[in-house]
Amino acid sequence: MKAATTHGARRTIASSLGESSMTGTSGGMDYSPVAMMPDVKVIKIGGQSILDRGRSAVFPILDEIVAAKAKGHKVLVNCGGGTRARHIYSIANDLDMPTGLLAALGGYVPRQNARMVQMLLAKHGGVFMLHDDFEKLPVYFSMGCIPVMTGMPPFGYWEKPSAKGQIPAHRTDAGVFLSAEVLGAKRAIFVKDEDGLYTDDPKKNPKATHIKRISASELLKADLPDLVIERIVIEYLNRAQSCSELQIVNGLKKGQLTRALEGEDVGTIIHKG
Amino acid sequence: MKNGNGNGSGKLVAGDGRTHIESPLMRESLVDRRVVEKTHTDTELAILPDVILVGIGGQSIFDRGRSAILPLVEELAAAKKKKHRMVLGVGGGTRVRHTISVALDLGLPTGGIAQLVGAMEEANAVFLNALLAKHGTIVMQREHFWELPLYLDSGKVPIIISTPPYHFWEPPPEKGPLPTHGSDFGLFIHGEVLGMERLIFVKDEDGLYDKDPKKHKDAKLIRHTTLEAILENPPEELILDSMLFETWRHARHVKQIQIVNGLVKGQLTRALAGENVGTIIEKASLMKRSAKPVAAKKSAAKKSAAKKTTSKKQARRAA
Repeated sequence: MKAATTHGARRTIASSLGESSMTGTSGGMDYSPVAMMPDVKVIKIGGQSILDRGRSAVFPILDEIVAAKAKGHKVLVNCGGGTRARHIYSIANDLDMPTGLLAALGGYVPRQNARMVQMLLAKHGGVFMLHDDFEKLPVYFSMGCIPVMTGMPPFGYWEKPSAKGQIPAHRTDAGVFLSAEVLGAKRAIFVKDEDGLYTDDPKKNPKATHIKRISASELLKADLPDLVIERIVIEYLNRAQSCSELQIVNGLKKGQLTRALEGEDVGTIIHKG
Repeated sequence: MKNGNGNGSGKLVAGDGRTHIESPLMRESLVDRRVVEKTHTDTELAILPDVILVGIGGQSIFDRGRSAILPLVEELAAAKKKKHRMVLGVGGGTRVRHTISVALDLGLPTGGIAQLVGAMEEANAVFLNALLAKHGTIVMQREHFWELPLYLDSGKVPIIISTPPYHFWEPPPEKGPLPTHGSDFGLFIHGEVLGMERLIFVKDEDGLYDKDPKKHKDAKLIRHTTLEAILENPPEELILDSMLFETWRHARHVKQIQIVNGLVKGQLTRALAGENVGTIIEKASLMKRSAKPVAAKKSAAKKSAAKKTTSKKQARRAA
């Protein structure tokens, strides 16, 4: 570590990136990534699809999570927002609020949902965690806990505006994918109320057909007007270092989540490529 | 998506196994492009439009120490006396590069690297605050976001943390493992979400060049350009993060970014006074819309624009 000391000069620390402007995309360094906690199962419980249904949908899913933990799985539970988030977005949109405000405001709802789920899982080791607690995950798992957090990434006011519309592009699906990616987990599991991906919204179009396995590139190329998962996650999938698969399962069908946690290809798999 | 008839009644709606709150987005898939597009507004709320954001380079200014920083501190103190409403931010400089090079060598994931770097930007914000405190500055911690108007109205100049809080959740970059949401982007998005129209970046060059002036003697200074021109034909080396320009493409408020040389006494002062020094980059599409000087109030123009958009939207919906 040598420092240039000329009066008025930049005092730089010599490093492989010392003189780089860092405004480009590559530092030109060798890089072999390490996975932080590749065995963690990162799952998301849908807001509108599951949590807004209440007890009848939520309790059986939590039973499956508790059983998976008892078998030794490390499960990180993330929660979606749902209809209250939609209501917040509607009001904020009516008031012409910027996207960053919608992201910050929308963040309150999945946090509430995570607190609800924690209360239900408390007797089985459920702990509520904030983004700032992420580094404590190893403690939670070694204590036999089931950490529960919001699916929303912490971007909030710093969320980027989109080309069209005010709805933040990074919502709870994105946060869950990014959690899996940084942990080095191969798959992120999304628990929804459909068997996965369809050619259109099956709730509105009865002719929509189920897709079992599809690559991110194929999906982007198909340019569907609606998707089961946030569009930006599909875009990120092809750039991911670790998380190369998104699995969407139907939480209303008993056992689907358990099978997914065991590594079975149920529901829809969207893979990198 | 204007309600028009004020129908956000908040009524609870059940019947499909879920309980909804009545709103225009009820039951909608927020992934559906058609739904998202309907939420678009051209008259987005500007929260603090009259505030100017000043970003001070880390490597370009701060790493030079006293001889570069103290004259700037004097200029900032004088600007504060003139009651400029401004927010300051500082880059992290060479220690960020060192952090990243060590982290890359260790193979830390992109999100892990992003979790580390903001500490250096925050340290520089603390440095700057120590120098300016007697003139009335305060470091704004992120959780005190909404104290910004309080600081400004009580005559304080807030110093914000430039790196955005993407942390472990930094999106995977298009190429390579380096996080792309750095301090220039962070300051930009902070200004944009608050509806600011002008940002000034203080660096150690007279502005934006067609190539890196530190490497090429024949590099030409670009005095005036547009975002659109930069996106269409990007210079070899950009003096600001490329993510800033990518994001500016979709931004609704920031109209002008000025890059000035902090090593040349008075350039920042002149820029704050609205003078045409350094490089001025404008977002042409936003300039056209207002067709008024950036600093001018525009509430009347905004109102008529709002009417127009609403009727356009109604027409679209009717069709």
